[in-house]
Amino acid sequence: MTNHWTDIKNSDCILIMGSNAAENHPISFKWVTKAQEQGAKLIHVDPRFTRTSAKADMWAGLRSGSDIAVLGGLIKYILDNELYFEEYVQNYTNASFLVNEDYAFDNGVFAGYDPKTRTYDKSSWAFQMEENGVPKQDPTMQDPNCVLQLMKKHYERYSLENASRMSGLSIDELKELYSTYAATGTGDKAGTIMYAMGWTQHTVGVQNIRAMAMVQLLLGNIGVAGGGVNALRGESNVQGSTDHCLLYHILPGYLKTPKSWQDSLAAYDKDYTPVSNDPESANWWSNYPKYSASLIKSMWLNDDPATAYNYLPRLDTGAASEYAWLTLFDKMGKGKFQGLFAWGMNPACSGANAGKNREAMANLDWLVNVNIFPNETGWFWEGPDMNPETIKTEVFFLPCAVSIEKEGSVTNSGRWMQWRYKGPEPKKGTMPDGDIMYELMKEIQHLYEKEGGAYPEPVTRLTWDAIATDGVFDAHKVAKLINGFFTKDTMVKGKTFKKGQQVPSFAYLQDDGSTCSGNWLYCNSYTDKGNMAARRDTTQTPMQANIGLFPNWSWCWPVNRRVLYNRASVDLKGQPYAKNKPVIKWDGTKWVGDVPDGGWKPGTKHAFIMRKHGYGQLFGPGRADGPLPEYYEPLECPVKEHPYSGQLHNPTAIAFAEEQKAVCDPRYPLVCSTYRVTEHWQTGVMTRNIPWLVETEPQVFCEMSRNWPSSRASTTATRLSWTACAAPSGPSPSLPQGSSPSPSTATPSIRSVCLALWLDVAQERRRLRQPADPVRR
Amino acid sequence: MTVNRRRFLKLSATAAAMTAFGGLGCQHTAPAVDRATMLKPEWTKQTTTICCYCAVGCGLIVNTSLKTKKAVNVEGDPDHPVNEGSLCAKGASIYQLAENERRPEGPLYRAPFSKEFKQVSWKWALEQIAHRVKKSRDETFAVKNDKGQTVNRTEGIASLGSAALDNEECWAFQTMLRSLGLVYIEHQARI
Amino acid sequence: MNGKSFFVDLTKCTACRGCQVACKQWKKLPAEETVNTGTHQNPPDLSYNTIRLVRFKEEVVDKKIRWNFFPEQCRHCVDPPCVGYSEVEGSMIHDPDTGAVVYTELTKQENYEDILSSCPYNIPRVDPETGVISKCDMCIDRLRIGLRPACVTSCPTGTMNFGDREEMMDLAEKALATVQKKFPEAELVDPYETRVIYLTAYPAQEYYEYLMADAAQTPRKGLTRKQLFAKLGGAAARMRS
Repeated sequence: MTNHWTDIKNSDCILIMGSNAAENHPISFKWVTKAQEQGAKLIHVDPRFTRTSAKADMWAGLRSGSDIAVLGGLIKYILDNELYFEEYVQNYTNASFLVNEDYAFDNGVFAGYDPKTRTYDKSSWAFQMEENGVPKQDPTMQDPNCVLQLMKKHYERYSLENASRMSGLSIDELKELYSTYAATGTGDKAGTIMYAMGWTQHTVGVQNIRAMAMVQLLLGNIGVAGGGVNALRGESNVQGSTDHCLLYHILPGYLKTPKSWQDSLAAYDKDYTPVSNDPESANWWSNYPKYSASLIKSMWLNDDPATAYNYLPRLDTGAASEYAWLTLFDKMGKGKFQGLFAWGMNPACSGANAGKNREAMANLDWLVNVNIFPNETGWFWEGPDMNPETIKTEVFFLPCAVSIEKEGSVTNSGRWMQWRYKGPEPKKGTMPDGDIMYELMKEIQHLYEKEGGAYPEPVTRLTWDAIATDGVFDAHKVAKLINGFFTKDTMVKGKTFKKGQQVPSFAYLQDDGSTCSGNWLYCNSYTDKGNMAARRDTTQTPMQANIGLFPNWSWCWPVNRRVLYNRASVDLKGQPYAKNKPVIKWDGTKWVGDVPDGGWKPGTKHAFIMRKHGYGQLFGPGRADGPLPEYYEPLECPVKEHPYSGQLHNPTAIAFAEEQKAVCDPRYPLVCSTYRVTEHWQTGVMTRNIPWLVETEPQVFCEMSRNWPSSRASTTATRLSWTACAAPSGPSPSLPQGSSPSPSTATPSIRSVCLALWLDVAQERRRLRQPADPVRR
Repeated sequence: MTVNRRRFLKLSATAAAMTAFGGLGCQHTAPAVDRATMLKPEWTKQTTTICCYCAVGCGLIVNTSLKTKKAVNVEGDPDHPVNEGSLCAKGASIYQLAENERRPEGPLYRAPFSKEFKQVSWKWALEQIAHRVKKSRDETFAVKNDKGQTVNRTEGIASLGSAALDNEECWAFQTMLRSLGLVYIEHQARI
Repeated sequence: MNGKSFFVDLTKCTACRGCQVACKQWKKLPAEETVNTGTHQNPPDLSYNTIRLVRFKEEVVDKKIRWNFFPEQCRHCVDPPCVGYSEVEGSMIHDPDTGAVVYTELTKQENYEDILSSCPYNIPRVDPETGVISKCDMCIDRLRIGLRPACVTSCPTGTMNFGDREEMMDLAEKALATVQKKFPEAELVDPYETRVIYLTAYPAQEYYEYLMADAAQTPRKGLTRKQLFAKLGGAAARMRS
């Protein structure tokens, strides 16, 4: 989220699209309801009528996957009717930038496409530059190559009629949606978007969100109270785990993973440190070398960063087609991996194409599965179509402590890093994850020290004891290391710091190893003043109280800034556009309110400090699948063509040749969407084992329309009821005697849910068209 | 009134003494039981935590029995600015996540081609895993790629997880994996 | 002092069921074994172990869907008919401070059918094994240490409110006036007879047949629910004035 949960109350129009917030983020509705009490409109755009729709002023039931038709139509509506916030668009977005004359878009494909690699050469999408290396701009925004004009041209095709045809919404519904939301395009109004997996889990996921980000930039809704682009993240620490980059392409703090051609830290830094010649562009990423050196130092405290850079593995490419989730399982299926850690995750259930994933796991030599409860991943070898006698995989299941049994922090969707204390002792026989990691790696280090092996230095020189006290994992010590400290006496910005002192904020990080910081974004979270994440002070100034800002409660990255890009909420003199709900304000000598995006005086730096040129990107020349969102159908779809171009699917989407896709396939005439309910969570490993929740939602189920033609409905119903009937007699996760209660003590209905999930819909590959009539049966 | 207040309270307190600290196995008595006693500092310690489910980040208060070291009550933290004490069905059920007899009480091992898990010790499990990791790393470690560029990576081990870990554990986990040379690292944020 | 009351604004309820589980959590009531019957509503009905239940009901009016949610609980009647019908000393306590109607273990000596049929809202449930009758007790133990009932604490949207009766009545009247602008059919349900005052957006029957006392057709003990109330409505009438 660029904003945060309590900020939703400041909104004048809340669009929930690609999310079922009332069911999946129930407490968000505390703040949605507060906004509604103050007159805000709530719009829910979703294929299904849900508990969210039940509270909305308007529910628009679009066809699954047609989001860009609807959002592109909104962009066109805003541009055609000149409903954008002109001053904001001019000052804070790249609308006036001139794009290369070579840039082209033809029949659904942008210039530079290579069908062999299914990738773009993006060079023609670049901006025209002045001789001094600053992007060329046309302040009148009339030049045919300027971004605003290119957008007008690109979205010419996104008419109400086309949006209606692809989404199934009526033109009246679209007009109501567009006019209600676009009404926030004034300085004193704010509109917000709450989205989740309903947008991300598409072959155009990034562009779904970009389309809305563009809408927010056009309407001046970014950086303001009650606005922003707000991803409702699904797990208690999926924000933190992403910040710490448990992903192939990034290192903690969103630094890039090193590539094979970057043979030194200097070469690596050079590739990823953007250069701007505009003195008014803060170009914050110009500090990249300080963050990379401090990260490397934090892992190998006894080495200098240039040496320890070699300890980091390097990738051949940053392409998702080589290392990302889908490819990972594809390669596992082909025997690429000997071992797999499935730590706090249940991929046998959670990943797309679960059947393929489970079969792939049978190719592993070993699997380490850390979880609270038995689950489909650790037990994959007794799943459907599996014969344990032919499966070689050794499985180690390690039971871990639950959240209330250990100490540490999690970061919520609003980027608040919040400390949790230990309540009960871990259950007998279980261990906190941190202790398991510490002890396991200690053992591996011991083996390498004793026996040697392949390139042992990264392992043996790892300063692993920096995360423990007296041989026990210490969350405080790790949190301090993540924040970072000075590794020797150092003077920065005229201040002298002693060795061992905590770094006060990332502005003090150095690129020479004199500072360490496990994650520059979290630098300022655990300083000499203490553990900021543990703060419980609700003190606010009246200005902060007005918009529900809690600067002294927990801590928020970056540097406790609660609303990102907040310099865009004020004019060039630092005066807020929204007089009734200012986020920051220049009082003549200093900024008041939130922590501003940099303390420079108003009008001296461009507002979007993380962008190289300092502007919000209506035109995004760095995206893999195009600089402007374009309509494509999902890879499996019920239509042969669409009115926007002759390009049916996203030409850059990852695809596996051997996987068949159903496009207008009469055998699969229906589109089915999967979803969660309030009472169960993710694959249900935790919630399926909680009797109070199983009581409320005891089984998996399918909703379908009463209005389906009876033959189709009965066929579908028959197959589904077969699933339901087959479930109770299917396999159940086995447990050794004495390790856990015997099945007889378990609530039987929990088992049936668990079993029903074995036979998941993905494996059956049923596709159900969304109901025309959403009434439940 | 047919029962005077003093007698009612006495009855309730007796019931509380029997039930408040018994965990899941306690005999429930819906009517007229004083459970508030269990929140008193002489019986329980109070700690704050954040909900382990979605990323709204609601605050909770956990009361843990001083005697059994087990949770006796978990409810919303009224001081927390995001949820102000409120919780959804999942958050309200966290007590049963901890006090749950379905949690295995130690590591389990499934041997190749076996139809079952057997219970093993932590020491044995971690030593065995360390040996597997080292063997796989040593066998699949690539110093150079096909183009002869230095890559220093372990190609034969992958990792999935986890958004369910604390920040400090996430950082430690990525540090452990990357020092081992892993490049196939993904988690819930991708799916 | 007129004791305590709940004000329940159904226009704000999202059926997150936090209250339903929070109730079980506080009281450590065991889960029931359930099956999906085509609705999220589960358990299907109140029971000895489920004294609070969120009911789900769908209506289609003018081709628009209304999905109505109703967190059901004992209304703690101002003049509780069940207490009037009690024949066992000490089985039911009508707490003078709060107005809570609290059942004790001694309810096992009551005639359950009589107690149930006395209730205008079909609330009390019996444990078939012990014969003890159970229902919401207003979390009277929590009230004594200054906490709100578990269901109220857990409610995110402001649906559940709890406090002094005057304060809740005031809140209810104000909320009604606001809500009526958007929902002209909105009404307060039995505000003078009960201590759990529901505000509905639509007619009460669109939520559940026993939401409103006179919505039920079946006479109990030869009296309709409305008549029952009329008979036992002395205190309510006094408080109204």
